[in-house]
Amino acid sequence: MSGYTVLVVFILVAAICSIFWVTAPKQDRTVWRSSVILGISMMFLMWAFTYLSQLHPLVVPIRSDLRPEK
Amino acid sequence: MSSSDRTQTIEDGKEEAIFRSATMSLVQLYLPTEISRELIYDIGKLNLVQFRDLNSKVSDFQRAFVNELRKLDNVERQFIFFKEELDKKSISLSKYPYESELSQVAPQSDIDELVDNGQILEDRVTELVDSLFSLYSKKKDLKQNFLTTQSVDEFFKLNTGNLPIEVAETADHNTSFITGTISRDKVQVLQQILWRVLRGNLYYYTEEFTEPIYDPKLEDNICESLDCDLYDVDTTAVGRATQLAHVSSNLDDLSTVLEQSELALNSELIAISKDLSKWWEIIAREKALYKTMNRCDYDGSRKTLIAEGWIPTDEIETLDATIKAGSQNLPTIVNILETTKTPPTFHRNNKFTAAFQNICDAYGVASYREVNPGLPTIITFPFMFAIMFGDLGHGIILSLAASTLVFNEKKIGAMKRDEIFDMAFSGRYILLFMGLFSIYTGFLYNDLFSKSMTLFKSGWVWPEDFEIGDTLKASASGIYPIGLDPAWHGTENALLFTNSYKMKLSILMGYIHMSYSYVFSLVNYIHFNSMIDVVGNFIPGLLFMQGIFGYLSLCIVYKWSVDWFAIEQQPPGLLNTLISMFLSPGTVAEPLYAGQSTVQVFLLLLALICVPWLLLVKPLYFKRKFDQEAKYHALQDEEVSTGDVGEHSEETADHGDDDDDEEAHEFGDIMIHQVIHTIEFCLNCVSHTASYLRLWALSLAHAQLSTVLWTMTIGNAFGATGVSGVIMTVLLFGMWFILTVVILVIMEGTSAMLHSLRLHWVESMSKFFVGGGHPYEPFGFVGLLDEYI
Repeated sequence: MSGYTVLVVFILVAAICSIFWVTAPKQDRTVWRSSVILGISMMFLMWAFTYLSQLHPLVVPIRSDLRPEK
Repeated sequence: MSSSDRTQTIEDGKEEAIFRSATMSLVQLYLPTEISRELIYDIGKLNLVQFRDLNSKVSDFQRAFVNELRKLDNVERQFIFFKEELDKKSISLSKYPYESELSQVAPQSDIDELVDNGQILEDRVTELVDSLFSLYSKKKDLKQNFLTTQSVDEFFKLNTGNLPIEVAETADHNTSFITGTISRDKVQVLQQILWRVLRGNLYYYTEEFTEPIYDPKLEDNICESLDCDLYDVDTTAVGRATQLAHVSSNLDDLSTVLEQSELALNSELIAISKDLSKWWEIIAREKALYKTMNRCDYDGSRKTLIAEGWIPTDEIETLDATIKAGSQNLPTIVNILETTKTPPTFHRNNKFTAAFQNICDAYGVASYREVNPGLPTIITFPFMFAIMFGDLGHGIILSLAASTLVFNEKKIGAMKRDEIFDMAFSGRYILLFMGLFSIYTGFLYNDLFSKSMTLFKSGWVWPEDFEIGDTLKASASGIYPIGLDPAWHGTENALLFTNSYKMKLSILMGYIHMSYSYVFSLVNYIHFNSMIDVVGNFIPGLLFMQGIFGYLSLCIVYKWSVDWFAIEQQPPGLLNTLISMFLSPGTVAEPLYAGQSTVQVFLLLLALICVPWLLLVKPLYFKRKFDQEAKYHALQDEEVSTGDVGEHSEETADHGDDDDDEEAHEFGDIMIHQVIHTIEFCLNCVSHTASYLRLWALSLAHAQLSTVLWTMTIGNAFGATGVSGVIMTVLLFGMWFILTVVILVIMEGTSAMLHSLRLHWVESMSKFFVGGGHPYEPFGFVGLLDEYI
């Protein structure tokens, strides 16, 4: 798992989007295409940014309220 | 049609008309006067043509069908009166399906009959209502009289011995008594006034009637000024007895009469309620018909009605067929006019897209054929909301509420809804999407009612050996694949991390949202074939925006992707990097990558070039163009003046048009417009990017608020044992749940929705939206009576 995961998922998402562009329902085609592709893209972006921000974290979690397991 | 348009066409050959508004045509109809009413009725049933007002210079009183309209207005007034009376008796209108009976225009004789009928019914109902009113007044009067007499009688029977002066029985000339009834809240006032005026020489006695008295109209001396009714009561006991008997027999008679009139009015109104909605529909349609015909023109001999109207180009055939079918072999003509007038904007919406379209139309109606912002809004609006509202649990609550509305939409749609509920109902698909995306973002934020879930292996490992109270640092062991690592939950520095994550996330999402919207302006320029706007507006704007904020976004992602501990370098602060890029170009204190200073100087210069480029290219282009045109006109004028009397091309005076939009293009105007645009664009790039930080602020606030709510309510219940523990848990759970719904879902949801709305109206739509259109309002019979029934 590394930064390349993001690229792999991006290619996957792009592929799904292109497939959907072609197979979108005939009725209300523009609405289907725009909504599904835009929705998937935004979900991808949000995931990618979350993933990237944890890729090389600059701070580590700190807590002092843990109890050791016996 | 360009290729992008062709993809929009759907199977039955009609445009989908959602990315851009439908292509419209101006048609001119020549209809024979004899059947014009029937034909226009048929066109109204199609609900396709927006008639232009060909008589806009003529006042309403001078139009062709003023008298008819006045008559119909009167009938409508009568119907409103009936409806009021029906509401008073709470009789509901029966609404049997009368649609089939209205497939043809109602014959003139039917209309006349309805008009006469309305008058007769109105007279009859008014008479009944009036007589009932007077009967009730009389009844009240009698009843008060009866009760007063009765109480006086009682009073004297009980108190004969105790009175200081034997008022009634002795009939002393110096004293007298007055009896009457008065409404209870005025008793105090009456008593005080009497006391003062009579200087204490008063014996005052009140008694409250136990029976309520029906007063049909809630409407001497002091007593009368206070709206009390006075009654003469006989002074002798015998006289009072006969008086009582007389009044009570009168009262009985009156009650019978009253009952009968009430019955008569009721049966009359029930009869009216059976047919009123049908009559009303007919009259309303007739009115709409004449209003439309008032917009049309006639030829000189008044044999032909000339109408002009906007219609979607792909519906002309439908119109043509309808007119042919209804023409009864009389000659009709449908002409398609070439025009420079701006057609109305018509997006073909369905029940799903309509709510999103309304969000954008509330800001402004798109210009004819420009990119419709309503289309991307379907996703971006709920998603921006969800970034601020991200919580899996709250998202589920919202989605469940919305899906109740969606799955029962037929049932709820037929119900009568109050204003607030109607708003939620008409926005049910928006709410559903808001809920669904909130589930997703909540999943990524790893927030379920402020608690976290460990669905995958955490990327952090806590040390094994330690004493209670030690400060522990986790060590990295991997990356949590989807969403925020649950190890952060409850740590001392969790905020430090989520703060930085959410701030960068909101900048990135904002930058992408704005860039996406900005590309629509390019789509518009290309569609309207305006190369100068591409060169003079789009490209410099794009370079300016990408050079500064695109660069910042790239830096954010790049900084994430570098393992700063592995290369043993100090990670630079991006904020300082951006500030020093402007304030001290060429020097980089903490390098992010090699060659950074060169790149930044280049970008800065690029941005600096873009400003005059944006400012000057377009106005200068138009100046050149105008100069050339002026030269050309000057040459023409010379030819005209040398060639004797030239034919003056007289400007065809547009007679009575309602929508001319010829703008005077002058260099000065364009220059001023461009200066404003440049200043606005450059400043907005900064302020709009900053504006997206609201995503960060609101999502942090939402997460914190739900944490606080949890610890202050249900969090207290855990740990308590025994009966009190059970009671506490139940009570505190109830409190937590109610507060979650009211504060976190409804209140916070509303606030996040408004912020998302603003991000669309201001930050996104300002990048491409012109919004100079006027809505397409076809003539039809849909919802004519919605405000009445």
